[in-house]
Amino acid sequence: MSGTDYQEHYDGQATAYEAGDRFNDRLALRETRSSRAPAAIIAAVLVSLICLYVLLEAALKAIGQPAWLLEPRDFAAWLNQLPRNVPTLILGTSGVLILFAGLFFFLHGVLPGRLHRHVLPSRRGIAVVDDEVLASSLARRARTRANVTEEQVLVTVSRTLVEVQLRPTSGIPVEESAIQSAVEDELLHSHIDPMPEVRVRVSTSGVVGQ
Amino acid sequence: MNETPRALNRVLLTLIGLLLIAVGATAVALAAVPALAGTWHALTRRAGAGIENVLAATTLPGQRDSWLWIVLALVMLVLIVLMIAWVAQQGKGRASTLAADYNDDGGPGTVELGAAVAEQALKTALLEREEILHATVATYEFRGTPGLRVRVLPRKGVPPYLVAEQVSDLVEALDLVIGRETPVVISIGTSARARLGRTERVH
Repeated sequence: MSGTDYQEHYDGQATAYEAGDRFNDRLALRETRSSRAPAAIIAAVLVSLICLYVLLEAALKAIGQPAWLLEPRDFAAWLNQLPRNVPTLILGTSGVLILFAGLFFFLHGVLPGRLHRHVLPSRRGIAVVDDEVLASSLARRARTRANVTEEQVLVTVSRTLVEVQLRPTSGIPVEESAIQSAVEDELLHSHIDPMPEVRVRVSTSGVVGQ
Repeated sequence: MNETPRALNRVLLTLIGLLLIAVGATAVALAAVPALAGTWHALTRRAGAGIENVLAATTLPGQRDSWLWIVLALVMLVLIVLMIAWVAQQGKGRASTLAADYNDDGGPGTVELGAAVAEQALKTALLEREEILHATVATYEFRGTPGLRVRVLPRKGVPPYLVAEQVSDLVEALDLVIGRETPVVISIGTSARARLGRTERVH
């Protein structure tokens, strides 16, 4: 194999690898973000209902029939006279309701919509884990280290923080640093990037009779 | 992993949201600030006069109403069809073929591998494991490439990295059987059954 051939072969491999990497990155991004499908369906149904009504009135007008609910000209006149012909309270309330509906759709369109999931490194494809599963595995580790029962440990996992709350059994002291290192060790094994901060709180009051 | 048009969803949601915000804000402003009423009257009167002019200009002789009403009806019809198409795009991408070999090697016919082959093999292998309560495998297309989506529900307390590793092992074994590497998404989740069931004790 000549030098240029080798170079071409290598370049080809590198681009293929990069393309695969980018594909996986896209997939990971899709798996950890909301697709906004429910909001999209609600918006589509809303818009179609309004369009359906306007279609009906326009078609009636086009074939010269009387309007079904609202004559377009009457409606335009009503809009023109607006603040006077409707009680202020009703106008304001309906305005606020429409404003909130608009805000709902707008925020769904703009906010990132992160799901409560973490990406795990994996040899093949991509792997995502729900935060709840991660929390239960960390809780098990903390529980076995502190030698307490399942009900005495509460772990919450968010994107950058792992909170461990532990109520020791009365009379058996629990070392906070030991729990901290056990939970951190378990987190290190899962290779989550970025590694969340671990906060352990051992409550001062114990549980009796466990 | 599917072909939901996420960018389109966000753009349309933002547009519809802004439109509704504008309508709502106008109503609130009219209700809250009585001084705006004069401006509103003048503005809507001018707009109304403009629309009347357009309607009069587009009314054919001998007709009672403008042909713009027909155009409006058609536009609404098109909008409704577009909205239905938009809804139909959500969650699209379920595929029934995992791999196909259309390279002409001289022999007659082509080879196609149904999605069920990989799905059932993976699912059976996963459900044999003690620490996995439930698993579903489905084939989805993403950017024209069929890939496997493996949803695994492990028992409470099982380290997720171990589950990911085991699924990776199984997928690599499947790669050998199929003879090509398809994209894979491994999703590890939880369910009511995992929450209520007994925890994994033997390791």
